[in-house]
Amino acid sequence: MSRYGSRSSFDLEWIERWARKVNDDRILPVVGRFFTSKFVLGFDDTEYLVDVRGGKIQKIAQGLTPNDMGVEFWLKAPSSAWSKFAQEIPPPMFNDIWAMAHPLHKQLIIEGNSLPFWQNLRALTRMLSLMRQV
Amino acid sequence: MNTHDPIVGRYVYVQCEGKTYRTYYEEHGEGIPMVCLHTAGTDGRQYRHQLCDPDISLNFRVIAFDMPWHGKSIPPADFHLMEDEYKLTTKFYCEFIVAFCRALELRKPVLMGQSMGGNICLALALRYESEFSAFIALEACDYSPGWWIDALHHPHIHGGEVVATSVFGLMAPLSPDDYRWETWWYYAQGGPGIFKGDLYFYSVDSDFRDQCQKISGKVPIYFLTGEYDFACTPEMTQRTAEKVKNSECIIFGGGHFPTSEDPAKFKEVITPVLKKILGADPERRGQGSNALSGRSISETRSTARSERTSEGRKVIEF
Repeated sequence: MSRYGSRSSFDLEWIERWARKVNDDRILPVVGRFFTSKFVLGFDDTEYLVDVRGGKIQKIAQGLTPNDMGVEFWLKAPSSAWSKFAQEIPPPMFNDIWAMAHPLHKQLIIEGNSLPFWQNLRALTRMLSLMRQV
Repeated sequence: MNTHDPIVGRYVYVQCEGKTYRTYYEEHGEGIPMVCLHTAGTDGRQYRHQLCDPDISLNFRVIAFDMPWHGKSIPPADFHLMEDEYKLTTKFYCEFIVAFCRALELRKPVLMGQSMGGNICLALALRYESEFSAFIALEACDYSPGWWIDALHHPHIHGGEVVATSVFGLMAPLSPDDYRWETWWYYAQGGPGIFKGDLYFYSVDSDFRDQCQKISGKVPIYFLTGEYDFACTPEMTQRTAEKVKNSECIIFGGGHFPTSEDPAKFKEVITPVLKKILGADPERRGQGSNALSGRSISETRSTARSERTSEGRKVIEF
């Protein structure tokens, strides 16, 4: 194991544990009060729909169907990159979503409408950082 | 009894490119003048720890000023009539730094800057080397693309929050939380479009990749970069330093804002550099020298969930 720890798979069970951490968080309802969006987390070829209202996750689902309207943006990265991101002490260049997405590194791809991504960056950053507590 | 920092703040009027800029600066210490340059979109508060450090102030007159448009330095009077958005250029940045030093009648100061303040050291070493005695370029490299983006100044996006959060990941996870969030706060307080405008210099108007080799080396340049800096990676700094004569490159376990995100760590890494500068300039040393809060998260929370299968996939609702 590296000095930064290790992380195995990102199955629906793991996503659910993360979503519970998000919904237990006391800060997100404050900084994410206006964070209402549907977005997708992509781990390799696996996609999870995340439906957020007021900073809390209302629904998660594996894969998208034709009825999943209104998805605004996608955050897609190799599971190896998410694995580093989700470590308790993430290694350099993997400690932050913008770090991973920055044109110098391109570990994370932002697709769709990036406006709500930037509008809610603070809440989203905290939300995703809670992966480190799963 | 009240406790005060030893810092003194003043305003000086600086002439640059035909305009007068009322410029705020703070200083403390005696000895070799050391002018400190803040990062993009922020101000001299990033140096508050170094300004107060008695080990530094014994031998250095530490001076940190706010660039026009930043901190307590106001924009030029006619800024509301500008026909283009604010953009910091290499030319103005160089000329302003030199004009500030002249306004304070500083003789060959040491120049320490971080991020854009580090990158400008390269331009100053090329154009104004005779004005300075040493450069300390923190988190600096010869080309740092990717930051001049519209999301950082957009009417549908909260500028303070997006700017501050966009740089949060530049800090090392193990830097103290209080100082990382203080640094976040500095960023959240910048004027609209100023961070982005500074990044015009940082990512667009400052490609020194073909110029570094032309630096004479008459003035030493010390490069220091933290391993968590994703805007200017250790490799980017190392590649730059390899091209610059009379330079040293130090990579340390920190981030992009060493002076404010982890001042204790920064002191460890900067002390040997300051000793070298002192050793090369003994006459000018100082006279006294030799020497998350909130409620508990353990409260019971709802674990209600409903699980259903819809169109062949599992859906979990909370």
